[in-house]
Amino acid sequence: MNKVMFFAHLRDAVGEESVSVDLTGKTVAESKVILSEQYGVNLDSVMAAVNEEFAGDEDVLSDGDVVAFIPPVSGG
Amino acid sequence: MDDRYSRQILFSPIGKSGQDKLGSKHVLMIGAGALGSGNGEVLTRAGVGKLTIVDRDYVEASNLQRQQLYTEEDVRAKLPKAIAAEKRLRAINSRIEIVPIVGDASPDILEELVADVDLILDATDNFETRMAINDISQKYKIPWIYGACVGSFGMSFTIIPGKTPCLNCLLKRIPIQGMTCDTGGIIGPAVQMVIAHQSAEVLKILVEDWEAVRDSFASFDLWRNQYTSMKMGKAKDPGCLSCGDLREYPYLDKENLSRSIVLCGRDTVQIRPPRQSELNLADLADQLVRLGYVVKANPYLLSVEMEEQRVVLFKDGRGLVHGTKDMSQARSIYQRLLG
Repeated sequence: MNKVMFFAHLRDAVGEESVSVDLTGKTVAESKVILSEQYGVNLDSVMAAVNEEFAGDEDVLSDGDVVAFIPPVSGG
Repeated sequence: MDDRYSRQILFSPIGKSGQDKLGSKHVLMIGAGALGSGNGEVLTRAGVGKLTIVDRDYVEASNLQRQQLYTEEDVRAKLPKAIAAEKRLRAINSRIEIVPIVGDASPDILEELVADVDLILDATDNFETRMAINDISQKYKIPWIYGACVGSFGMSFTIIPGKTPCLNCLLKRIPIQGMTCDTGGIIGPAVQMVIAHQSAEVLKILVEDWEAVRDSFASFDLWRNQYTSMKMGKAKDPGCLSCGDLREYPYLDKENLSRSIVLCGRDTVQIRPPRQSELNLADLADQLVRLGYVVKANPYLLSVEMEEQRVVLFKDGRGLVHGTKDMSQARSIYQRLLG
């Protein structure tokens, strides 16, 4: 299983700060598709961190990895 | 006044030599909204040598809740933010050099401005400008500090050419923007938290304490009590078009510069003139009044009141069309006024 955390407006859209989903063996890109469908959030151009480290689209998740989705924001 | 920097000099990572370095450095700050106000004040008080401030907007009532340099008087006078910021910052510290520029931080203008700049500070509200800053930073090897916020959420990352990944490595393309800034609002503490992260990094870089520079991507939500620090070592993309081996600085290409854009959360469209030009505001005001328009003016801009919209025209030829998000409607209104 994996803990998946959402930040900023993604958290509001999902309704929870984190969810438990099994993404073991999936890439970050595949995980984004699965989570987008399941929770109705748009994860295009959202940064992903795996165990607090920046992760690219092709990185593969292992059991127990903590995934965080951080949307780049533009306000200033 | 001779001990004005004494408390900062007592802080050992800065000291006397750090203070001297600060006083010899030039910071280019893009944007003078919320992040620009706070960062500008920190750097002015800290005694940076020269601060160039670029901003395309003027002060409005909705800014006062978080844009700490501005007053109700600035709103009444419709002062451009760069000018109002300069006025306030000069009153805070008359010893430093402050250069205000009322205009758009387009790639052209950025190229003109970076000659002797030691650091670029991002206080903009859009990714189009940030990507241009990112390319300029890589092209001229000048560090820059990304900072942004919405709601109670904020983030910052320090980009050092040749060392860290760049913004284009992280984002690959300009993100969709409307979903964050238009709807989320913003609270002052989120702004202050980003300012604290950015301005601390500025001080470290200007005193050349490179070891102390934060290499992680910080983000936080002050309302939900979340704080994350993302390690960025793996983010550098060798194929990046901004910082990789085959770099081509895509965001400095004028072909990619949009002529009109909807401004963040403002029900406003900005129109850029077809070519760089300078408007004679006094003549234009006379002409518009003769045509029956209601016009208010100050030395920097004209505000033209129309039935549904209000248009603000700047000396550099830009127009802000308030009261619409429709770009083609905004363009036609702009053309009606400028003939």
